Amino acid sequence: MTDIASSEARLDSAARAKGGRSASIFAARALFLAVILAIWQGAVALGLANAAFVSTPAAVAQSLWHLFKDGEIFPDLATTVLEIAIAFSLSVVFGIGSAVVLDRNDWLNRIVSPFLTAFNSMPRIALGPLFILWFGIGIASKVVLAFSLGYFIMLLSTLGGLKNVDRDLLLMSRLFGASELRLFRDVRFPWALPSIFAGLKLTLIYCSAGAVIGEMIAAKRGLGVLLQSFSGRFDVAGVLALILIVALLVMALTSLMDLLERRLLDWSKGSTDVPG
Amino acid sequence: MVRDAGAADGDRPVDISVRGLAVTFGQPRNVLTDVDVTVLRGEFVALIGASGCGKTTLLNVVAGLVPAASGTVTIAGTPPAAGRRDICYVLARDALLPWRTVMGNVEYGLELSGIGREERARRAAAYVDRVGLAHARDLYPSRLSQGMRQRVSLARAFAVGRSLYLMDEPFSALDSQTKLVLHDQLLGLWESSRATVVFVTHDIGEAITLADRVLVMSRKGTGVVDEIRVDLARPRSAEALQADAHYHDLYRRTWTSLKASAQ
Repeated sequence: MTDIASSEARLDSAARAKGGRSASIFAARALFLAVILAIWQGAVALGLANAAFVSTPAAVAQSLWHLFKDGEIFPDLATTVLEIAIAFSLSVVFGIGSAVVLDRNDWLNRIVSPFLTAFNSMPRIALGPLFILWFGIGIASKVVLAFSLGYFIMLLSTLGGLKNVDRDLLLMSRLFGASELRLFRDVRFPWALPSIFAGLKLTLIYCSAGAVIGEMIAAKRGLGVLLQSFSGRFDVAGVLALILIVALLVMALTSLMDLLERRLLDWSKGSTDVPG
Repeated sequence: MVRDAGAADGDRPVDISVRGLAVTFGQPRNVLTDVDVTVLRGEFVALIGASGCGKTTLLNVVAGLVPAASGTVTIAGTPPAAGRRDICYVLARDALLPWRTVMGNVEYGLELSGIGREERARRAAAYVDRVGLAHARDLYPSRLSQGMRQRVSLARAFAVGRSLYLMDEPFSALDSQTKLVLHDQLLGLWESSRATVVFVTHDIGEAITLADRVLVMSRKGTGVVDEIRVDLARPRSAEALQADAHYHDLYRRTWTSLKASAQ
């Protein structure tokens, strides 16, 4: 059919144009970053801003170099990464699991949903000191704090996706003789997958925030402990360098998920990019 | 009221028998009252009637989706049930899985029917080819036009090879040109399947083009008020029929009857 062939050709050329543009976007991004760094460094050099408060790009770079040079950061970095990894995995497993149970059991859902809303409305960060009291200053309390943030995000986004499944797809499958298991595997779960991916990215962001903030309250090791000691010494460059490390870590993991999402959801076009 | 007695040839077994059917949906007012319909095996019957006459409800009773308040309904001698392995229901919307390609969607019906992998792929490819979508077999539904999507839905339905097809206005969202193409494809698929078809529509031309008999339902939900035997020769071509005088006679006859049913 010529109409398909031509629309296919149009789509392909559109994709190529997008690819061609991505190089120029990359250059523009580099320029944007350079301008911001130049303004920052320039403002300090001209005496418009005080380096003791805002530091400078050069000082931050130097701090980063020192942190990695003698490997002093690695035990802390490893602790934080471990906490994020455990909290993220637990959030994903239990969040998706609970969403599936609540989706299939409306009775249970109606009972627990006000409690879920109530717990999710609590400022979990404020519970941080309590978690430390209950679970000690080791990694457990940080995992619990990060999990308490991530679990609800994962649960609510998965449940939202499962709830708005296309009824016609379910009806069609049932009329073809599909079992409940097949309905889940072939209709409900794939339908919820875009919402699950949106949830995964937010969950990662909130789990890392939870872990670092938990460490800042009280911990033996972790980037949050370093952050506390740097800010105690008014080492602004050190604080910014650590925040940069966390941001880069989360960004790297998020792009990994984007890659996976593009592969799994190529039928849906477009990704559920979450700003942040 | 015409007591519909089926095609009355007597040499073909009855496939669907509806006797004294009433449907209430639990309301005091009946949606359907005292409906009698007989459909013979291998027959193509179109149900036509004003909106709200209960034609889709009747189809849903036969599909086992809506319970009968009273009366008896049998399909091949047994009562209706959703998910029966001898019935295929084609919805008004194409209901394609967006994450499966054209081939994957046609295979889906076969998977749910418990057909093995190799046979599945072979049959799906054959039916995708029969609806003229061989060139699009690896495309996702989001890349298809509405007509193409409905062709995939037809291929999925006929690939499973069931003995009764229930169709609820499957072409209502299509433009008239695309409809004619789909009519020919449906006729082609049906003629080689020899299945029984009950086809709900509000399009008179569609009913006459496709069916052996057109049953006109009363607006009040009291069942079949008229029956038009469509004695047009088969195989038919939807496009050629547009220039057929007898087709237009039947059209006029059905239109008059439909108008009377809505009084």
